[in-house]
Parts: sequence; structure tokens; C-alpha cells
Amino acid sequence: MADVIAVLDKVSYKYPRSPGLVLRNISLEIYKGEFLGIIGPTGAGKSTLCLTLNGIVPQFYGGDFYGSVHVSGLDTVENPISKLACCVGSVFEDPETQLIATSVENEIAFPLENLKVPVDEIRRRIPRVLEMVRLSGYEKKSPAELSGGQKQRLAIAAGLAVQPSLLVLDEPTSQLDPVGAQEVFAVVRELNRQFGMTIVMCSHAAEEMAEHADRLALLAGGRLLALGTPDEIYPQVQLLEENQVRPPQVCSVFYSLRQKRLPVQNIPVRLEEGKQTLRSVLQGGRLLPPPAFPAPPAPHGTPLFSVKNLRHVYPDGTQALHGISLDIRKGEYVLIIGQNGAGKSTLVKHFLSILRPTEGSVMIDGVDTQQLKVSQLARRIGYVAQNPDNQIFNETVEKEVSFALTALGHSPQVVAERTLASLQAMGLEEVKDRHPLSLPKGERARVVIAAILAMQPEIIIFDEPTTGQDYRGARYILDISRQLHQMGKTVIVITHHLYLMPEYAQRVIVMGKGTILLDAPIRAAYHDTQTLESTFLTPPQAVLLAKELERLDGRAYPLLTPAELAGCFERQNGHLG
Amino acid sequence: MSDAPTGEKRKVAFLGGAAIDGAPIAYIVVLAAVTTALAFIPFSFALAGGGSFPLSQGIWALLGILLGPIAGAISVGIGTLIAIFVAPHTAGVPVVTLLQSILCAFAAGCMSAQAKRGGWWIIAAVLGGVGGLYYIGRAISVNGVSLGAAVLGSLIQIIGWLLYVLPTRNLFGKWVGSKNVVLLALGVILCTATSFAVAHFFATAITYTMFNWPQEVFLLLASIIPVEYMFRFIVAGVIGVGVIVGLRAIGLVKPERGLY
Amino acid sequence: MGMMKYRTVEKDSFFTRLDFRPKLLMIVIVSVVAFLWESPLLGAALGVFLIVACLLAGLKVSYIRMLLLIMLPFYVLLLVAHGIFDEELVLNYLGQERLHYMFRFPGGGELFGAAGMSWEGFWYGVNIIFKTLSLTLVIPLGIFTTDVDRMIVGMVKSRIPYKITFIFSSTLRFFPLLFEEIGAIIQAQRLRGLAVEDMNAIQKVKVYAKVAIPLILSAMVKSQQLEVVLQSKAFSGSPDRTYLHSSDLTRTDYLLGGIFLFLFALVLALYFLYGVGKYSVPFIAWEA
Repeated sequence: MADVIAVLDKVSYKYPRSPGLVLRNISLEIYKGEFLGIIGPTGAGKSTLCLTLNGIVPQFYGGDFYGSVHVSGLDTVENPISKLACCVGSVFEDPETQLIATSVENEIAFPLENLKVPVDEIRRRIPRVLEMVRLSGYEKKSPAELSGGQKQRLAIAAGLAVQPSLLVLDEPTSQLDPVGAQEVFAVVRELNRQFGMTIVMCSHAAEEMAEHADRLALLAGGRLLALGTPDEIYPQVQLLEENQVRPPQVCSVFYSLRQKRLPVQNIPVRLEEGKQTLRSVLQGGRLLPPPAFPAPPAPHGTPLFSVKNLRHVYPDGTQALHGISLDIRKGEYVLIIGQNGAGKSTLVKHFLSILRPTEGSVMIDGVDTQQLKVSQLARRIGYVAQNPDNQIFNETVEKEVSFALTALGHSPQVVAERTLASLQAMGLEEVKDRHPLSLPKGERARVVIAAILAMQPEIIIFDEPTTGQDYRGARYILDISRQLHQMGKTVIVITHHLYLMPEYAQRVIVMGKGTILLDAPIRAAYHDTQTLESTFLTPPQAVLLAKELERLDGRAYPLLTPAELAGCFERQNGHLG
Repeated sequence: MSDAPTGEKRKVAFLGGAAIDGAPIAYIVVLAAVTTALAFIPFSFALAGGGSFPLSQGIWALLGILLGPIAGAISVGIGTLIAIFVAPHTAGVPVVTLLQSILCAFAAGCMSAQAKRGGWWIIAAVLGGVGGLYYIGRAISVNGVSLGAAVLGSLIQIIGWLLYVLPTRNLFGKWVGSKNVVLLALGVILCTATSFAVAHFFATAITYTMFNWPQEVFLLLASIIPVEYMFRFIVAGVIGVGVIVGLRAIGLVKPERGLY
Repeated sequence: MGMMKYRTVEKDSFFTRLDFRPKLLMIVIVSVVAFLWESPLLGAALGVFLIVACLLAGLKVSYIRMLLLIMLPFYVLLLVAHGIFDEELVLNYLGQERLHYMFRFPGGGELFGAAGMSWEGFWYGVNIIFKTLSLTLVIPLGIFTTDVDRMIVGMVKSRIPYKITFIFSSTLRFFPLLFEEIGAIIQAQRLRGLAVEDMNAIQKVKVYAKVAIPLILSAMVKSQQLEVVLQSKAFSGSPDRTYLHSSDLTRTDYLLGGIFLFLFALVLALYFLYGVGKYSVPFIAWEA
């Protein structure tokens, strides 16, 4: 067996103020040069586990600590954090708060200065680590000038500068757009493969973890439930789903096929293997003709939003939108996707009149939005922005929900009725007297949605509601969006998480560089993989497998989800019994 | 699977992070950054006479309340200094704005009967008191302002200073720690009012030496200052109550010298 | 709201090459002198000197123009207030019996007891205008010409405790983020349908002040993450560390520091011994 870099032995831990144990009897060895992925739902103890490796748990937080952690032979309770900081480089989730210096080179120098590394040595290391994360030439730039992906790569470089034996990354891609996430994964993989850096990474990105990790540790409720290679862990779909962890879609597809007793020897965890396995399933099973998907009812009626030749140029000269035209009709559920900078938010801000067209027009119900005040529009259009914490102003959930109603001068009775209805709809009645910020993140998002629903808007826009949420949290919010849609509201969602959307959206607008690249029903849009990839969006694996099926079979299979894909196969009679 | 820890319980030396006078450095940093950011948000009130002050003035005292006298003063001071460095033209007389903000946070941070810092309020009270006396004295002796106009023009500061020197200081400080939201609001507003008055007196001593306003301007000030103060109190009350109730709800570690 | 950040001039000049310490000394000395001098002529000379120095140091004309435009209403107020209402003060200062008028109110009438604008008051106003201008201008002159790294090193070398220096540099890093967040919060508030324009002053103030609540609370929450980040980077607040950037005082820095101190001593001596810099009326062009 390879050299061991870190050993956790029967580790249990309780924060000073947590009600119970956050880690429970975890024993784990981390080997030199491996890429260990840590997966599990929010609250599983993943971040805490990471923090035990550099002694921050328990030395900084205090609390009750049982067992031991050794990193490079150093006991993390007995050695000061500053000494452990030489062994462990850390990268955290939020790209903003972890960059503390005013320039790229200062950021890398900061831990080294604290460790009293001589200046000459610091100067030697800066270009070296910048090259490793492909940021050479950025030495003098301010962190504010970097993109999200670049910020995280800089954080990695700063972690590498101490020449650690272990690099720990806690959800480094969850706040990034797909391009940024790809950049970070590429860099981490290169560090691991080329430079032999030992990696410990927590992530919800199942497809990428399957691709890159050597081993996975599944954590839930503070316990280590499973440990093994991705090929051992991800096929245990039932175990994962019980613990609210999303497996790669390719696993779900073949897991379902195996449940249907189709010939699946090993459940593949990576797309390429999935394509191989698909061939053997085709040989050993029976492929049904493509299911008929009734064309979605053609939108009718007068458009709710009518955008004509909309151009927007920001004051600094950036051309954000180049002559966009589209109609959105009442009752539609529209998904808007595209890279950061594609113009999604700029477009939506025109609906709300937060931005004014440089050219062209935006009409709502036949009225030019320029003639309406933001406050008038906001009463018809509910806008749920990405960060719920920026939208919480009041001391109790109830006051938060009634805040705007009161300020708008509704009678106390109307305020009370609407507030109650809204609280009920979001399942927040029991916490109505609590402070919104004392609730977990998922519930805080619901408080904001409740406050917006209380205004009884006809249209609701969710701007990246799933960023930073785990699978369960993301599904919860999207389920709300579906309920609203079923109530007859018009719903517009902006997200990067394509795999989440097939069960919700009907129509997809793909934007790129300020134009509409594609506007089509979801099946057509998701299967136009070329257009998606041209704007760095990766279609869900189920779609890519369906494309492969098309290639092998010759018929078109416009499928979107693992379940649909699995539904297209049947056992051959008499085969395998 | 048993949940009881099977590993040996370890003795943990709790270190905590770097701190100044009991306030974690990270708190001081983010609140300084808040001060800088709010310094660029002008707070205009459209009323007769008009006027505007940056929103940051509404949190000077609050930072003293949250972090204690030393850490609060450092946080406000650095935040204000950076605002001055970034946009010198927005700060009035830069040096005076800086000193005033520091003294305001310091004075507010001293508004508690905590034994260890029992006497520190005297520093603030003396600075304010001497400043006030000098200012009113100069107005009367050098500029020929009548006693009545001088007193009227600084009535609010005089009352504020008196309430700061009297035991009401500790009472207001105690209210800030109250669970009762009304008392909390009163506490925040009165802490802000009195500490702001103390710092204002001190600052006026300097600005007045520069500006030497004649009596007519005094009378104008007498009409504007109370309005300005009133808006400052509302701002401070709304922010202070919202922030303190929020902090208690989130359960963040309270800095050692915080009053809330 | 534009992007707010610390800026430095692009031009490389004598000023940008100086260490931060002599510049800090300059800021202090110029501020004291500006505060001390009440002579309109000397005050104006100092003000003009600083404008020229700013331009030579690479500050944009547009910046100086903006600064003057912002201050203009205040300057007008100063001239009017002192020109019209100053009597006792200037007479006291000058030891005169009566004022010389630039103009009198038409028809010999009075405004709040004043008969018109006096030369003595006018010049006193001019003195204050340049005083405020100098106190403001000396800051961009010293600060905008200093690279952040050198400023921080200068602070460390001036024996300012490292913790303070660290707070200073991290605040510089974080405030633009918070400034952007304010924009997002204000927008979120508007999108709750609040028609701020229809509210009365007090309601408006209450709603507006609420913007600061999520700003402060989320900053405090983030500070917890910041602490963990600092810990993981071996930060202890101890000044016993190495520094990537260094800034050593050159001969020019010492020379300049010496010149500033000498000039300062000279100004003080002339002021207290001979009254140079005290308030006086440069000239009276006509009398109404």
C-alpha cells in the first residue's frame, strides 16, 4: 500500500454550541498522491472533517474532540495550527472571503510571510505556483479583477505555496459557473496527476468526482458510511439516494436497467463507460421504439412579455445585449441558460425596468415597461435573487413576509391574510416568530420567496436559485416553482444546473454573448448539444446517452432523464431468466 | 452503529483567533469595510434646509456598542480613513471627520458599568466637554455671538453631553443589553445620541476654529442640527436594533467588550 | 454607483517614487500649516501650490475639477456668510473700528442686521476656502501617489502595530465587495415593490436605513469564514513575520523629510515671532 499521509483514528467531535456530535467515530487513512473525494448532503460533517486536517478543529473552535488525527506524522491536537499550516493547504467555498490580500502576489505571499519564509524564497515560489494554476503574469492584478474560476485557482496557488503534503478543497466549485468549475477541476486534476499532490475534496459535482477521484468517502450525519473507489461507491444508488446524495446520471440509468434485470454486469460511473455498457445492453435487451412525446401546447394568447430588438450597452461601454427579440406568454415555464456574461441577468433586469433599453423595447401586457415604475412592476413580477441573505431586512419571519405589504399601505386585515397564506404556502407557519437568519439556508430562501408571494405576483423569476444548495435544497426550491406554475403563474428560472430542470421547465432559451442562440422546447434544446457546448454548457449525461443511443440505433430518442432512458429498454423474453 | 465516541477524549487547548481588546480581528476588518462602504452612501433628507450625511455616521456608535471602545474605535477609524483615502472630497474636513468618528465609537463603547473599563468614559467626556467649552467660549469672546445663540445652536450637544456624563450613561448602556426590543431601541438611540454629541462637541472645537461662523449661521444651525440629529437617531435605531437582534439570533460569538 | 476602489495615479513621478513616510510627514505638516494660517494670500499660495503639485504628480485635471465643483456650494456659503455677517470677528482680529464695504444692500436696507458685503469678511471667507481646499488636496497628493504595498510597508516600518496594518489592508480588499453588496440590497428592496418615492420622510429614512442591516449581518457571518481562512494561513497577528515588499528610505526621502521639518519650523517661527500667516486684508479695491 502507498505511503499514508494522514490518519484519522476514531475521530468524534462536537462544536461548543452544536447540540450533538458532528463527527462520529471516523477512521480513515489518506494515501500519498491520491485524490480522495468526500461526498454527502449538507450537514453531513464534510467541512468539519476537512478542518480537522489542519487542526482548526478543535484548536480554533474548542469543543469536545475524541480520537486523533495525524498529518505527516503530526498530531493535530498537539501541534500548533501554524505548524500544521505548512502541511495542509486549504481552499474554501466562497471565492471572495478567502482572498484577503490586495494583489495576486500578496495573496500567495501572505501565508509564507506568516510562516517567516525568507523573502527570496517567497519570490521564488510565487511564479512557480502561479504557473501550476495557470495564472502566470497575473502577479500584480487585484483579486477583484479575476473571474470566479481564477479566484479559486489563486486560492489553490496560495494553498500550494506553503508546499503542503496535502491540499484540502471544500466545495471549491459550488459558487462557480460551468466554465469556472471546469477550470478548477482541470487544475486540481493536473496537480494530482502531474505533480503527485495529494488531494482531499468535498463536492456535490457527482459527474466530475466520478471522473477525477481515486476514492470516495460517503459521509452522512457525521458518520463515514462508505469508503471506496467511485466504481464501488456510486453504483450503490439506493444508499446514495437514502442519504440525499445524487449519483452521476449514468449510474442512475444503468442502476434502473439492472433493476429491470437487463444485462448490466457492472454499473458504469463515467460517461464513456456508460456508452460502452449501452452497447452491451442493446445486444442483451430489447429497445422499445422512441416514446411519443406530445408536442407541448403551442403558446397562445397575447404575450405577457414582448421584447423587441432589445440592445443594452452598459455605461462603461460593454455591449451586453445585441438586438434580442422574444415573447413570453402567460403560464409558461421558461428556463434561461448560458455562461456568465451571456446577458441572462441583463435581460431579466429589463423585465423589471431596473435596466432601461439602450435601443428597442420591452412590453408587459402591451405596456412599455419604461412607462412603469420599478415599484409598480415589482408588484406584478416577483424576483427571487440569488443570495437570500441580501433580501432579509426584518427581525421575524412574519415581519419579513409582511414588510412590503405594510409599506404599501394595505389594510391590517389584508396584510394579515396574505401573510398567513404566504407563510402556509411555504410551510413557514411554525417558524413565523423566529429570526429569519436563525434558519438554515434552504429555509431562508423560502422566507424570501414567501415575502415575494405575499405580493401576489403573476410572474416569478428565480435567478440562480440552486447555486450553493445541495441536491435536496435545490429540488425543494424547484418544487415550489412547479407548484407556482401549476397555480397558473408564469415562471422564469435562470440556472447553470441543467440536469435539475427536465422535470420542471417547458421552454429553454440559450443565451450566449448577448444574443439568443436557441429558443426551443426543452427536449429540442437539450438535444442541440452543439449549441449548448458552444456556450460551455454540458448537457446532462442522460441526454448524451440518449444521443449515443440514437447513433447506435438510428432512431431519434429525445430523452432527458435517466428514468426516461431506462424506460426505453425491456428484458428480452427468455433471456437470462 | 453506536454513536458514542470510541476514541480517547482529548484535552483541547482552545486558542481562538487573533483579537484586539477581546474583539476578533475578522470582526474589526469586516465592520471597518462596512464603514467604508457606507461612507459612500449619502443619506439625504429632503426637508426645509436640506442636508445630507453619509450613512456610515449612523453606525459609528453602533460599532463601539458591538466591539467595545478600543476595537470599535479602531474599526471605525480605519473604515473612515480608507473612505477618506479613496474619496477625499466626500469627507468634509478629512482629519476632523476621522477624529470625530473614532471618538464617537470610543465614547459609545465606554457606555457600560463593566468594572474593567469603568473609568474610560471620562476620557471621552473630557475631550467632548473641553471641546464644547472652547467652542462656545470662542463663539462668544472672539466672534461676538450672544450667549443665547451659542447655547441654542448647540443645545442638543449640551444635553447629549450631560446625559453622557451623568449615570444615565450606564443606564443607556444597560438598555442595549435588554431583551426587550423597545428598551433596546431606546438604548441604541440614546447611546448614539450621547456619544455622537460628545464627539461632535470635540470636532466642532476644531472646525469652529477654522470656520468661525458668525451668529446668523449659528441660528441657522440651531434649526438644522436638531433635524439632522433626529434623522441620525432614526437611522441608528433602525440599524442598531436590526443588527443586534439579528446577531443574537444567529448566535455569533459576542466580542468580550460588546454592550449588546 | 460606479466601482469603488483604492486608486493610484498611472504616472511615474518624483512623488510615486518617494517612501510613504515622508509623504505622511508632508500630510501632517501641510495640514497643521493650513489650519494655522489665516492669511488669505499665504493660504491661497499653499492651495495653488498643492493643485500644481497634484497635477505634476499625475492626478487628473478632471479629478481636481470634480473636487472643486463638489466644494463650490460650500465655498459660496463661506463667502456669503463671512462677507455679509462677519463683523465682530474681523474687527477683533484687525483691531479696526469699522468695516470697508464691497457693496451695500440696495436702498441702504439691512439683511438680518447686516448692511452689505465687507472686504474684511470676504477675505476671511477666502482664507477659509483655501484652508479647506488645502486640507483636502494634501490627501490625494500623498495617498493617490502611493502604491498600496508601499503604504502598508511604510506603516509597518513606522512602527504602527502589525494588527492595525493588517486590518487596514484587508479593509482595502473587502470594502469594494460590500459596496457592491449594497447595490444588490437596495435593488432587492426596490423589488419588494416599495414605492420609496411615495413615502414620507420618516418612512423613507426607516426603509433606507434597513439597507445596512443585511449588509452588516452578512459581513459578520462572513467574518467567521474569514477567521478560519486566516487560521489556515497561519495568521496570528504577530508582527514577527517576513514581508514580501520592502521600502527603504533613500537619501531623497531623508532630504525631503528634512526640508519639510525645516520649513515647518520656519513657518512656526515666522508665525509666532513676526505674525506671518496671521489674518490680514490683502487689498481693498474699492469701497461702496
